Amino acid sequence: MQLRGRVWKFGDDVPTDAIVPEKNLFKSFDEMATQVLATLNPVFAREVQRGDLLVAGKHFGCSSGRAVAVKALAATGIGGVVAETFARTFYRNAFEIGLPILECPGITAFADDGDVLRVDVATGEVVNESRGQTIQAPPPPAFLLEMLQAGGIIPFSERLAGG
Amino acid sequence: MNMVEKILARASGQREVAPGDVVVADVDTLIMHDLSAYLTGRVLENEVRKPIRYPERVLIVFDHHFSPASEERAKILQENRAFARRHGIRVFDCGSGNLHHVAIQHGYVWPGAVVVGSDSHTNIHGALGAFGTGIGNNSHAAMVMPYGKAWFRVPAAQRVWLEGDYAPGVSARDAAQYLVGLIGEGGAVYKALEFAGPVVEAASVSDRILFTLMAVDVGAKTGYVDPDEKTVAYVRQWTDRPFEVLRNDPDVAYEREWRVDVGTLAPQVACPPTIGNVHPVTEVVGTPITHAEIGGHGGGRLDDVRTLARLLEGRRVHPDVRLQVVPNSRWVFEQALKEGLVESIYRAGANWFPAGAGSNQATNMGALAPGERMISTQARNFPGRNGSPEAEIYLAAAATVAASAVKGAIADPRELVT
Repeated sequence: MQLRGRVWKFGDDVPTDAIVPEKNLFKSFDEMATQVLATLNPVFAREVQRGDLLVAGKHFGCSSGRAVAVKALAATGIGGVVAETFARTFYRNAFEIGLPILECPGITAFADDGDVLRVDVATGEVVNESRGQTIQAPPPPAFLLEMLQAGGIIPFSERLAGG
Repeated sequence: MNMVEKILARASGQREVAPGDVVVADVDTLIMHDLSAYLTGRVLENEVRKPIRYPERVLIVFDHHFSPASEERAKILQENRAFARRHGIRVFDCGSGNLHHVAIQHGYVWPGAVVVGSDSHTNIHGALGAFGTGIGNNSHAAMVMPYGKAWFRVPAAQRVWLEGDYAPGVSARDAAQYLVGLIGEGGAVYKALEFAGPVVEAASVSDRILFTLMAVDVGAKTGYVDPDEKTVAYVRQWTDRPFEVLRNDPDVAYEREWRVDVGTLAPQVACPPTIGNVHPVTEVVGTPITHAEIGGHGGGRLDDVRTLARLLEGRRVHPDVRLQVVPNSRWVFEQALKEGLVESIYRAGANWFPAGAGSNQATNMGALAPGERMISTQARNFPGRNGSPEAEIYLAAAATVAASAVKGAIADPRELVT
């Protein structure tokens, strides 16, 4: 599963409250997407291009476990998220709705705003094309990759629940 | 195996599980609130399109709203009620209380149970010897509702060992906040955090809840206290259903241990912008406040109401402060009524609100304007959580909130405790 895109960088402990604030919870995903992360970077939602990649520090997506945070991020058209670590509910939600993400220790120092990254979610290899450097992250558990490849937990659930 | 491993093994029909294993476990209870139930219901009915297999295991608690202030929100609640009727799910409507406390007090949580919720603080239930964790709307809609199951990766365990005696004016909430600062946000991601030691053994289940509550803010998958007689007696207050308690084996190992002598702690305040920005109250004393609140996941317990009443005795709420009191459940309010606390707190100048989640996310109350500052027993303080991102939220124990409400500025409760 290959991703390639331009980097938007965020810091540590970005809460889901900043991805989708409570007041936007019941809007359409397209509406949510226009205000995603607005308090942290007002330019992001306006200028993000399809396939861009979000890079973040530790504990990305902490606070509320709302799956709409992942769905709204996906609705911006980003290709995926690479972070030092994720909050576990965000991590789980991403695989469940089919948004590719990768936990990659060292990513903060490895990529800056505007760099072009190539990410292999299945093997954990991350290439910074702008710098000509490569970093290796541990690959995600096989069953999560299967879920991602199936398109998320809804298509995958019957198999899981029966197993 | 430890308690969590034993629960997950039993619920997935296996003799043994180990950290890292992925299990598909039977779920005993699914707890949703008025915001998450709506989102989950839409996924179930629009995308999954399957019936709910065990509707009696699901509850919806309207805790963010006690009386919707707009047509849009009234429709959300209306739709929740209709969804619940269509599927035979029990609704605890406006004014019932905070979802986790309502679930506990209506017998939905017991030792050994697998409890999931679309609320990140679902790990509270580890204080009752259950495996409690928050999972997302799609987990609920795609697996819990149609099959009564959920997938989990078995977490590795770390232990928090608490010893010593609290200084006067310092309580479990202070120790819990201190631990968030010590372990750090994201410092225990995916772990099961066990709380143990003489302080935890001596603590009431109501206080143990404050430890398992904070587990989510250091990133843990769940927090728990190995159940004892106190756990069983507490649960027996609320339900007579049969259960088999699962406890740690005597030889369980921990990946890591955190040790704290609570006797060394001052009252702790989590300062903006995050719950991990924890300081002794002495470092922020004198910061003017405009709002104070006893309520939310981490407050609004009967203990908090009693603490507030005690500190307000012979004192008044500062004229520049709006003090909001939000009981955790109707039971808490009834007890407070019986003990005369409702009247004494009211006469000291506080406002009582219906049982619920209080100003959590300012859904139905408690929005702040730029420059306003709240101190509360709530569980979160991210900028914009309650209205303006230029407002500030400080989190503290009930005693510190009460002392601050009296002074009109963040205050050290030890000055008022005699």
